[in-house]
Amino acid sequence: MTDGWNIVVCVKQVPDADEVSIDPETGILNRADAEAVMNSPDYNAVEAALEVRDVVGGTVTAVTMGPASADEVLQVAVGMGADNAVLLTDRAFGGSDTWPTSLALARAAEELDADVVFGGEETTDSSTGQVPPGIAAHNDWAQLTYVEGLEPRPEEDRLVAKRDVEGGYERVAADLPVVVAMEFGENEPRTAGLHRKIYAETDFEPVEWSAADIGVEDEVGLAVSPTQVGGMATAEPVPREQEMVEGVEELADHIVEVL
Amino acid sequence: MAAGADADTAADVEAHSDVWVFVEQHAGDVAGVTWELLGKGRELADQKDEDLVALVMGEAVRETDIPEEAIARGADRVLVADDPAFEPYRADPYGEQFRHLVEVRKPDIALIGGTHTGRDFAGRVAVPTHAGLTADTTELEITDEQYEMRRPAFGGDALATIICPNHRPQMSTVRPGVFDAPEPDESQEGAVEDVEVVVGEDETLTEVLEREVGDVADITDAEIVVAGGMGLEGDVDPLWDLADLLGGEVAATREVVEEGWIEPARQVGQTGKTVRPKLYIAVGISGAIQHVEGMDDSETVIAINNDANAPIFENADYGIVADYADVLPELIEILRERLDAQEVTA
Ligand SMILES: Cc1cc2nc3c(=O)[nH]c(=O)nc-3n(C[C@H](O)[C@H](O)[C@H](O)COP(=O)(O)OP(=O)(O)OC[C@H]3O[C@@H](n4cnc5c(N)ncnc54)[C@H](O)[C@@H]3O)c2cc1C
Ligand SMILES: Cc1cc2nc3c(=O)[nH]c(=O)nc-3n(C[C@H](O)[C@H](O)[C@H](O)COP(=O)(O)OP(=O)(O)OC[C@H]3O[C@@H](n4cnc5c(N)ncnc54)[C@H](O)[C@@H]3O)c2cc1C
Repeated sequence: MTDGWNIVVCVKQVPDADEVSIDPETGILNRADAEAVMNSPDYNAVEAALEVRDVVGGTVTAVTMGPASADEVLQVAVGMGADNAVLLTDRAFGGSDTWPTSLALARAAEELDADVVFGGEETTDSSTGQVPPGIAAHNDWAQLTYVEGLEPRPEEDRLVAKRDVEGGYERVAADLPVVVAMEFGENEPRTAGLHRKIYAETDFEPVEWSAADIGVEDEVGLAVSPTQVGGMATAEPVPREQEMVEGVEELADHIVEVL
Repeated sequence: MAAGADADTAADVEAHSDVWVFVEQHAGDVAGVTWELLGKGRELADQKDEDLVALVMGEAVRETDIPEEAIARGADRVLVADDPAFEPYRADPYGEQFRHLVEVRKPDIALIGGTHTGRDFAGRVAVPTHAGLTADTTELEITDEQYEMRRPAFGGDALATIICPNHRPQMSTVRPGVFDAPEPDESQEGAVEDVEVVVGEDETLTEVLEREVGDVADITDAEIVVAGGMGLEGDVDPLWDLADLLGGEVAATREVVEEGWIEPARQVGQTGKTVRPKLYIAVGISGAIQHVEGMDDSETVIAINNDANAPIFENADYGIVADYADVLPELIEILRERLDAQEVTA
């Protein structure tokens, strides 16, 4: 592969974690009030994708599945340096759990002839972390999750990753194509240069694909989703004394009390 | 493959029964969350009058005492898939073997530890079998013959109930420390069965080049936890001193773990461990929702932070607004004297 790798990076639009509130009467989440932002772990995914492109050559295509307004997260990715972007948007996607979500992204990755697909560790809204392994499973591709660092080996058509495992680490070599989920916080995402940022927000237009464009119109949405959200409640805060003490002696009293 | 081909054919729900628990082991060491899941699984199997089945994969695991221990921890049956392809762990052979067993034996529910291993391969079972996969369940109960899985979302601000009406198995990952592990009971009886191995080295997509794993600390059962945050700026020695003095374990926030100041196995929170100690002392921790989620069930929480507005104080019983560097040495001094005095009088 002389002309580098086709790199795809999946980014998701989520409500700003600090601004989500829940209506105490209805128990319904006020996602609409919160500003929509790019999922913070996805910055690490975009950065990793760009770093691999810088070493191996090729292109980085950012992909998101969401409403038309989700093109904002594609602008973020393009601002950081992604070459192209695809917006998967269709009413048919509504109500999808991780099974059809990862199917749609898997088909898009196939359509883009991806060698490597990057994703974040998990999202800050529904946080399943199941989408990247789901993409790999739908396509029967290799996967590398909780990745701390990467060594591309284009001459072998392989990608080697350092993975975080309980009690240590491992280095795993995967055959291409491969899906990589970066561990959150493991690299320093670059900031968008001013010119690139202006380009991303003004001239740049993502490609738009419907469910039919990737051949999944009958395989997405609520109807094919095995899981359903049956209800949502505000997590009740645990009642605490919330007593402030003046001195260390008093603090010691409370500790000895418990012992 | 063609997982999508039968996308809208729901499973024959009636044909599925039994509670399965995945036994996570690496080179013969079993991850503690396994025993927690067997404890919960036993409860569910008794309620449904079904079998609790433990699934062990690895190389030469048949000769270890893992199958027997699974029985002592509640399993009625243990399925063993023994092959060099399963050691060390890789997602593709684990997923493929588990998928095969699920398709042939049709469990109603399968519980998998929410570790980096379990969260890695669970999707490779759920996708091809079109099973429902719930992430990070913290409460699990049966209502009208149907499993209801509750899980935190939005960093822990909300608790969502996930159901899986038309697909089987109902799968879920569960983070370590969420359920209680029962003590083993050697008088329990059960059957161990070797299963057909359906994967071979030729079909694997990955190769483990190197694996470096040391002792893994287990903080989930600690009665006393002394946890440190970014406010310590890496000065973690006083945490260890305080934990040693009180006979407790040291824990940390995710940021501290990322800095490498404290090992990852000691991370508390949404993406780490859940702890339920009698006493949780939070030092230089802001109290982000993702952290609080992992320590909210502590009996008594004490917070030391130099910012009176830090959210950790809303989640604490007793708090002191001060620099940790002033508080900890004095606190250790006072506690040492008091504990010595107690020992003398005792
Ligand atoms: C409260 C709640 C709980 C839920 N619980 C479950 C559950 O337990 N099981 C289940 O199957 N579904 C669940 N869902 C549905 C699930 O949230 C959606 O399918 C969601 O679109 C994808 O899951 P995630 O946000 O957890 O992604 P994760 O798997 O956490 O995301 C990991 C990475 O995948 C990529 N990615 C994820 N989504 C997209 C996207 N739309 N576009 C581009 N890239 C993406 C990103 O790189 C991201 O960093 C739940 C939904 C809600 C509202
Ligand atoms: C998807 C996702 C998953 C996450 N999972 C987890 C998780 O499992 N666990 C977790 O912990 N976090 C998790 N986080 C990160 C979390 O959001 C917070 O960023 C993190 O908990 C903050 O760590 P901290 O309290 O150590 O640091 P900070 O928020 O920086 O707080 C440091 C505190 O120390 C205080 N301080 C400073 N100097 C002193 C001093 N001299 N004396 C006393 N106090 C001092 C400050 O006032 C401040 O309150 C997750 C985030 C995401 C996005």
